[in-house]
Amino acid sequence: MKRWVNKGARTMVRYLSLYRSFLTHNLKNEMIYRANFAIAVVMDIFFMGVNVVFFAILYANVETIGGWNFHQTMVLVGSVGVVREIAYLTFRQGFLELGEYIRTGRFDAMLTAPMAPNAHLAFRHVSLTESLGEGLMGLALVGYGFAHLPEAAWSSIPFYLVMLINSLLIYYAFCLMINSAVFWLVKSQELNTVVYYFIDTARYPREIYRGMGKAFFTFIVPSSLIATTPAAILTGRANGELVILSLGVAAVLLSLGLAVWNWSLQHYSSASS
Amino acid sequence: MAVIEVKNLTKTFKTHRKEPGLLGSIKGLFWREAFYNEAVKAVSFSLEEGELVGFLGPNGAGKTTLLKMLSGILTPTFGEVRVLGFIPGERDRAYQRQFAIVMGQKNQLWWDLPPAESFALNRDIYGVDPKTFQSALDEMVSLLDLKDLLNVPVRQLSLGQRMKCELVAALLHQPKVLFLDEPTIGLDVISQEKIRGFIQEYNRLKRTTVLLTSHYMKDVEQLCRRVLVINHGRIVYDGSLEDLSHRYIDHKVIKIRFASPQAAAVLSGMEGVVELDAHHAVLKVKKKEVAQTTHRLLGRLPIEDLSVEEVEVDEVIRRIFEEQPSKEGG
Repeated sequence: MKRWVNKGARTMVRYLSLYRSFLTHNLKNEMIYRANFAIAVVMDIFFMGVNVVFFAILYANVETIGGWNFHQTMVLVGSVGVVREIAYLTFRQGFLELGEYIRTGRFDAMLTAPMAPNAHLAFRHVSLTESLGEGLMGLALVGYGFAHLPEAAWSSIPFYLVMLINSLLIYYAFCLMINSAVFWLVKSQELNTVVYYFIDTARYPREIYRGMGKAFFTFIVPSSLIATTPAAILTGRANGELVILSLGVAAVLLSLGLAVWNWSLQHYSSASS
Repeated sequence: MAVIEVKNLTKTFKTHRKEPGLLGSIKGLFWREAFYNEAVKAVSFSLEEGELVGFLGPNGAGKTTLLKMLSGILTPTFGEVRVLGFIPGERDRAYQRQFAIVMGQKNQLWWDLPPAESFALNRDIYGVDPKTFQSALDEMVSLLDLKDLLNVPVRQLSLGQRMKCELVAALLHQPKVLFLDEPTIGLDVISQEKIRGFIQEYNRLKRTTVLLTSHYMKDVEQLCRRVLVINHGRIVYDGSLEDLSHRYIDHKVIKIRFASPQAAAVLSGMEGVVELDAHHAVLKVKKKEVAQTTHRLLGRLPIEDLSVEEVEVDEVIRRIFEEQPSKEGG
């Protein structure tokens, strides 16, 4: 048991330090294209703004949506932005580029280097800028909503962060599963557009779904858990059932995602040179 | 113990045939004809430590597929591979730390950053300690004369310079086994020469086992005492280059320059003449008849210059490849 823990800790430290190396390289790389950077940030903030306006109009007509008032919804919408930005900072970009890596044979190098191919793919292009505007705006919205909620407690913040990580694991597992198909399709753009729109639905409170829809957005496309669970915690709406469900879905999806991914790697046929 | 052991290795790819045109594409959505392409067929060979062996074969012969199986990128359909005692397909990290593969047509360096950055990242990925890293780097930088290029963005390097950097990036962890797939492809003669010299020197210094594929005969001629010739997925020859020409070629080439044009008339119609004009002739002569023919020619014709040459290895290889009719390959 102790040996396993030690080994796990060593692996963790190694991958954290690898992440740092890759991050440094990516930052150096991104600084070369400063103009892109500015445009990306402005566009992100604009689209987040559109989101806020959309909900502001809705809430001018209704008191609550699925039991969520305006400020709680702002925490929810903001959390989607935060999750997205952290995803870009850790794994998302790699999936978008997987098809190209396979076509050009660069994925081959990820299979021969002494590190897990999924980590290599995730870290190869961690992008600070890709979703930075969304992340900053998200953070601002979470802060704004939080400040206007009398029932919100500071003590819930650590738990909020834990569930945010859990949401990222769900998101990651979902990406792994969908993107395993890239090894056969050799195109990742379309698949990841699908992922994008699914994750977009995370900004609606989970309570709006009923029956089959609820099951679909929980187990097939787990987007209803991604923002709702952490936001529910920060806004004092959480219950144990929701938390346990989220943790369970993360565990099951991640094991399944890794299994599908590893199976795909075994059947990888590499681009002819 | 052999460093590389391959037994009965076979790799089959499943592919789909698509009819040409838009209609064909639409049809392909609903019904596709699957067919199996054996890229590598029952290949067996083994390599000892420190050997530098060349893989020869035309495009689609299965060279790259073989290298990919040896490095664990592809898993075999049948058969056995062992490298350094590992099964490459298991992608064991311990194995991955001990070999490297360089593909001439692929770029692993970070395009917008100087090579020094890519090297540093590889140091972290392979977990090379900084001291070992620095000495390995210094050694290769001086061997390849790269000092001034380390801080130039990769995109500004020439193909030859980039290839040198690719080699350095692959060798920083000092692998025991090195796979090189077309390391000199597309390079000018001088760069080719440099890369060849480096590979030779590196193999000599480190006793790294090297398996290399190339289109360029010169690579193999200069570097490899042993060659494996592969065609249509099968190994058709395994041995030294000299034996290869002995086995497949039973003639030599006699080249003549005439002192006066009338000599040409005498030769026309003679058996074995492959080229003939007023000033030159080239003859293909059976090895055991070379002495006799040369003697006769010198006695009968006004010859300014005569030389007897071995058939070039290129020609030998072409012969082997022409033995089997070519078919679609992968």
